[in-house]
Amino acid sequence: MEYPFWDVPLLGGGMLIGIIAILHVFVAHFAIGAGLFLVLTESKARREGDSALLEYLKRHSTFFILVVLVFGAVSGVGIWWTIGLVHPTATSALIHIFVWAWAIEWVFFVVELLAAFIYYYGWNRLDARTHLAVGWIYFAGAWLSLFMINGILTFMLTTGEWTKTHSIVDAFFNPSMLPSLLIRTAVTIALAGLYALITASAEADETLRERVVKYASKWVLVGMTIIPIGGIWYISRIPDQAREISMGGAPVVTLFAAASIAFSAFVFLATLIGPFLFPRRFHVTFAFVIVALGLLTTGVTEWVREAVRKPYIIYDYMYSNAVRTDEVQKVWEQGVLGSAKWALLTEQDKQDPLKVGERVFRFHCQSCHTVNGFNGIKFAVKGWKKDFIDIQLQNLDQLKGYMPPFLGTEEERKALAEWLFSLNNPPQQTAARP
Amino acid sequence: MPVVIPPADPAGLPAPAWLLQILLVFTFILHILAMNLLAGGTTIMAISLRKGKDSPFHAELAKRLSKALPVTMSLTITLGIAPLLFVQVLYGQAFYTASVLMAWPWLSVIALVLLAYYGLYLVQFRPDWLGRWVTTIAWLSAIFILLVGLLYTHNATLTLAPEKWATLYAASAAGLHMNWSEPTLVPRYLHFMVAAFAVCGLGIALLGLLARKRGDSWGEEAVRYGARWFIGATLVQLAVGLWFLFSLPGNFMQSFIGGNMVNTLILWLGVVAAVLAMLMVNRSVLAAVLLTVAAVTLMSITRHTLRQMYLSPHLDVNAIPVNPQWAMFAIFAVLLVIGLAVVGWMVWQFYKSGEPQKATTV
Repeated sequence: MEYPFWDVPLLGGGMLIGIIAILHVFVAHFAIGAGLFLVLTESKARREGDSALLEYLKRHSTFFILVVLVFGAVSGVGIWWTIGLVHPTATSALIHIFVWAWAIEWVFFVVELLAAFIYYYGWNRLDARTHLAVGWIYFAGAWLSLFMINGILTFMLTTGEWTKTHSIVDAFFNPSMLPSLLIRTAVTIALAGLYALITASAEADETLRERVVKYASKWVLVGMTIIPIGGIWYISRIPDQAREISMGGAPVVTLFAAASIAFSAFVFLATLIGPFLFPRRFHVTFAFVIVALGLLTTGVTEWVREAVRKPYIIYDYMYSNAVRTDEVQKVWEQGVLGSAKWALLTEQDKQDPLKVGERVFRFHCQSCHTVNGFNGIKFAVKGWKKDFIDIQLQNLDQLKGYMPPFLGTEEERKALAEWLFSLNNPPQQTAARP
Repeated sequence: MPVVIPPADPAGLPAPAWLLQILLVFTFILHILAMNLLAGGTTIMAISLRKGKDSPFHAELAKRLSKALPVTMSLTITLGIAPLLFVQVLYGQAFYTASVLMAWPWLSVIALVLLAYYGLYLVQFRPDWLGRWVTTIAWLSAIFILLVGLLYTHNATLTLAPEKWATLYAASAAGLHMNWSEPTLVPRYLHFMVAAFAVCGLGIALLGLLARKRGDSWGEEAVRYGARWFIGATLVQLAVGLWFLFSLPGNFMQSFIGGNMVNTLILWLGVVAAVLAMLMVNRSVLAAVLLTVAAVTLMSITRHTLRQMYLSPHLDVNAIPVNPQWAMFAIFAVLLVIGLAVVGWMVWQFYKSGEPQKATTV
């Protein structure tokens, strides 16, 4: 409530972050795995004197830099842009807690990017040993930047000892950091294979195509086999409440969690039955189907990971609506409008419960809800009587475990109920208009 | 309307403010030099693509620029991350607020950069396929990059104007505000963009110098052509710079023309360095490069001083509590040195390997 709230109509800010983040994640994990794919395959091709495979790798690496260096890098910055706009308070917290971790990640990122360029432009220029060394440097830089960002990202769900010690070591090496690192590393391997299926299936030479398709499919299968192991470990380390939300506590989240498992299984089976068993008949359309399944898996999984963190944006430290847990008492006393300096209501507005209610909604609820779009509150309260809305508000965190408690004053709560009721039941003067 | 300033982050600063300020200004200089090469280079490439129909020199220049620009774009983005990090650490209260007010235009930076970047790759990889559209695509990339600069100027000036925020936000929370009413907006923007053409001219002269060393006759003309851009843009800059100076609020301007000796000295030493670079460029490109880096450094310090002037009535970075994390800083510093050494080794290997035996096919 310390910053002005950006009102994103229909989609909501959270959805905006989701769209950019899922696309980024899908490309960024590939960026890392592809590094390993390129160096290991290049070593193999050089060892076996396989010039056809080497030529394929050169073509594959063009695709790689166009996807990774451009879309991967820019969309990564895009996430940073979006979270700063949608959740400035939480972004500021992550920036300030992890300043040097971000700075270290930046160093790895610089090394990674320069290595990618030199690897790509060095195909016909550097000798084999130096070229491979640059490839390994690329992979090391890319994986280490995942190592850094993974520590920061997992901190948001499992703050662990940090809430007591406020030590960056506890924050970074938090309970779910290692299992998440294992999952994400496995995802990078699977995605490296998945993207290679696209470029391999577009190869003109039939024997080469068959060979590379089969080879790439093994990457997918290996990656997809490791993911569930990491998954079980990860689930064992997340807070009880987060686990319960994904296992029935919130039906939509449970549904998505199930979808995540189902889509993963589809990717595995499609790869097994398609490119692995019948590489000769594999077609580029099929490659895109598996990639689409992979994107769906990434999408629903990242969505679940975000959803189970509710009601927090940083676990046990900050609620989704940017109120820190240690501020709850203060907000209770001062009210939402007393705390949110950006409410900027005039004295006259303050007399109008509908205006007060709307403003309370903006600063208390709108981080997660839109009015009439995604997670739209208008539909959530449809058919509810004013008193019933008020009862719900009074017991928000009891009735819905994934929501924070209502922190406003009694007057604000009544105003919010009034405004919520008015969404589906417009006040008389409006309704009476011809 | 009241002036509303969000409170500082309770985590405090992980190092004394002065150290973070040095890192901010230093990484900003790296970013701005790369940006100069990118913004100037893309526009000059678009011009040369058109002129290249009649002039072999311009055709060659456009080709060389098209190879260098995607990497320059990547460097601009990457080197921009660090100063943006330190800005958020030190001035997040102002930066986030201004960004939210202009959320959609600010977010469009991402889309513009993405499109401009792909445009640059199209021009590099597929000029034949593009045919006569190649010039159009180059111009589109140039325009998008110049627009990004304009959006940055809006953001930077709005960040420095806390007294405007509440009025704007009360009018609309949709994140569609800009800062057109700001008197320093246009001169400030031009100040940065004219510099881009000067620095890029110097970059072209440097390319020419390298070519000349390899016995490539194209180099001679490139040195002269680059120097012309550098001199022309720097002459224009003298006028734009004065305009920018006189558009500043009176007491700020005063401080740069004698009111504060240190501020005055830093600014005008920067001007002198730029003028000297202009006089030297036809005799020694390398001397001009060194003088220009000095000028950009002094100007970047001036920019930082100006930011402090604007924000000091509202927020004071020296008042934010410091919880130093020296061990983490040491790890960062060591990794930075190792990282730079690795990058240096790779670039050296690449440079040493000389011209490619055959062009990379796409």
